Amino acid sequence: MTGAKGRPGWRWLVALVGGFALGSAVRAETTFYQARIAPIMDRHCVVCHGPEKKKAGLRVDSFEWVMIGAESGAIVKPGDPKGSELYRRITLPATEEEVMPSDGKPLLSREEIKNIELWIAGGASAEKVMADFPGAPPLARPKAIAEALAPDWTSRAAQITALEQALGVRLLPRSQVPTDGLILRTASSPARCDDAALAKLAPVADLIVEAELARTRVTDAGLGAVAQWTNLRALDLTRTGVTSAGLARLQPLRRLERLNLTDTSVDDAGVGHLRALPELRQIWAFGAKVTEAADPRVVAK
Amino acid sequence: MTPNDNPFARDHDLCSDHCGEHPTVWDLPHVPLGLKREWLRLETRRQFLGKGVQALGWAGLATLLGRNGVAQAAESAMATRPALVPNFAPKAKRAIYLFMAGSPSQFETWDYKPMLYDMVDKDLPESVRGGQVLTGMTASQARFPIAPSIYKFAQHGKAGHWVSELFPHTAKVVDELCILKSLHTEAINHEPAILQITTGNMFPGRPSLGSWLSYGLGAINEELPTFVVMTSKMPHRTNVQALSNRLWSSGFLSPEHAAVALRAGSDPVLHLNNPKGIDGDVRRAMISGVNDLNRQLFERVGDPEINARIHQYEMAFRMQTSVPELTDFSNEPASTWDLYGPKAKEPGTYAYNCLMARRLAERGVRFTQIFLRSWDQHSNLPKNIRLMAEESDQPTYALLTDLKRRGLLDDTLVIWGGEFGRTCYSQGTLTAENYGRDHHPRCFSMWMAGGGIKPGTTFGETDDFSYNIVKDPVHIRDLHATILHLFGLDHNRLSVKFGGLDSRLTGVLPAQVIDAILA
Repeated sequence: MTGAKGRPGWRWLVALVGGFALGSAVRAETTFYQARIAPIMDRHCVVCHGPEKKKAGLRVDSFEWVMIGAESGAIVKPGDPKGSELYRRITLPATEEEVMPSDGKPLLSREEIKNIELWIAGGASAEKVMADFPGAPPLARPKAIAEALAPDWTSRAAQITALEQALGVRLLPRSQVPTDGLILRTASSPARCDDAALAKLAPVADLIVEAELARTRVTDAGLGAVAQWTNLRALDLTRTGVTSAGLARLQPLRRLERLNLTDTSVDDAGVGHLRALPELRQIWAFGAKVTEAADPRVVAK
Repeated sequence: MTPNDNPFARDHDLCSDHCGEHPTVWDLPHVPLGLKREWLRLETRRQFLGKGVQALGWAGLATLLGRNGVAQAAESAMATRPALVPNFAPKAKRAIYLFMAGSPSQFETWDYKPMLYDMVDKDLPESVRGGQVLTGMTASQARFPIAPSIYKFAQHGKAGHWVSELFPHTAKVVDELCILKSLHTEAINHEPAILQITTGNMFPGRPSLGSWLSYGLGAINEELPTFVVMTSKMPHRTNVQALSNRLWSSGFLSPEHAAVALRAGSDPVLHLNNPKGIDGDVRRAMISGVNDLNRQLFERVGDPEINARIHQYEMAFRMQTSVPELTDFSNEPASTWDLYGPKAKEPGTYAYNCLMARRLAERGVRFTQIFLRSWDQHSNLPKNIRLMAEESDQPTYALLTDLKRRGLLDDTLVIWGGEFGRTCYSQGTLTAENYGRDHHPRCFSMWMAGGGIKPGTTFGETDDFSYNIVKDPVHIRDLHATILHLFGLDHNRLSVKFGGLDSRLTGVLPAQVIDAILA
């Protein structure tokens, strides 16, 4: 420091400029925190620990907030993942009271946990870049927000149950997401399911997303009812009496993706009726009279 | 104590066919009355949860639903519509598990290790073995000579996966497979290893994978069992381990979730046929009578086990109709026999069982597990593994092909594998034509196909010796978590209170769904 006394301002200036230059050089490359840690926090944590809720006095919507920690203290101990509250909470078993994310929300993936672990082990830096973490596994793409496949069925539960009992079929929710639609399932007693039964399903026409009609007594007449199920994605007509003529009725099924015609009498002309269905990806026709030349979407062998 | 105090008094503690075998807490002489009442209160709460077949489902449902908002909405709706509903939309509706019991070597099947040809008969470097404890079968060997595969490998399919010449048929459909090369387990002996991979735990008494699926999702077809097991005739018998029903038991879940074992031959389900002189009407009347008695007992004591028994009588009665239709192959077209090969006509062969598995999948059986034993090649591996491959390659290929052409592979998960791996060094003397391989838990190969699996891929890597995993290890609990995920089930939420734990297929250690292999 000797000799610097007369011009401290200059020295500081150099340090400052140098610092900025260095800082911007680093920031030109996305930091590991920005690329990996911030997205994980955004996806899993910020809903409760962000500007809106600040549960336990904790915000994690920026690097600075993360390092400030919670009411109870720091959540990150640089260099020591195992000693960091953040790491401890996200690696607890799902059944532990203290596990994060809480309340049954999806836990962090193995890759996400590993990225956080490496980041803390590497000093919990805001500056380090991707190249500093060669072992960091890539994160899976965040899943697209699921589109509603059908209207919410829950308000019509009583009606659904009554139809099931009257017709001897099952109308099962595809998942606990009420807009995932219903599966029409007939495997227990396919012989009970005929064209008349399908016609009686009109009140739930908009809810049926998959129709499992293999081995039922459904014929071309029944496809008239099926054509009203405009949210249908998958239709299985294996070993039914439907014919090529009947398939012409399926034109309104603009959302149909998969059609199974195994062991039916359908031929190339029948498949021709399906040409305009925009979402149809796959037509299975083993044991039918369809050739794969009829449509590139056909599997016949 | 007066009889009125005691709901379990002798006048009605008789399950119709288990006449008073089991004393209740009320029969114990030295238990204070207060404690007995406390027990009764707890018992009542437990039985309330278990009351009725629908309510039985409810106990699982409550766990499955978890605590989030969407689930609560579904739960309230479900209150008027009980059903077993996956957590999220599933990719797989059913699975067929081709269990290669005894454990095929990864070296002659799916994990090609060309470097070993440069090291024939050299000793396994200690740095690779890393001080691992070996089994008693090779621990005393003076040396550990490296034995590369005697069978050649070639690349197949669009993805160019390496497949052994032992599987020329499966090689044709390799683009359907996701080959996992980095499975690992803790168990080094068959029984604990096979229990771990079938039930998630080395100790017996846990529900098997199929039982969990039955418990979590219920039946697709009520006329057939939800979970079916078949064992296969062996092309040769060397080092054959016993298979027991603890590999497909329901453990602490209700017995209706255990597998029904289909046998080879004219009597696929034992005791299903009516005895001579008893026709269907008489049998129906008898079962109805027994079930009425059981229902009366259930009304009074509410023990869920009684309902399981009613369920099983009814299932047996329904199977009297559904099983003969299932096992009648007479209307299979000629193309079926071309595909599966002539052995498919012989009941009990692996080929026959593969065809049966397709028929079960078509009819909505949730989980089918085929066991093929005698892959435990400690010695004479080259000869014996060829016999096993010849027995199983074409039927396995046929099953995949048949499922695919009938549109079933999309939502049917097919799983192939054993319980652990084998060593890169020879057990016993290594010659140009012969060698053996000991058990090896640190890495083994499996494959999965269909049912939401990304086709034409591999996952995980082992070192040049296929001794240690160098990339993407997959523990058995990760495999289980992934299988449940494909069925729309969150492995953390599919749990049952047992033994003081929220018991799960995946156990208490963290398990991860392998996102990278999902389509």
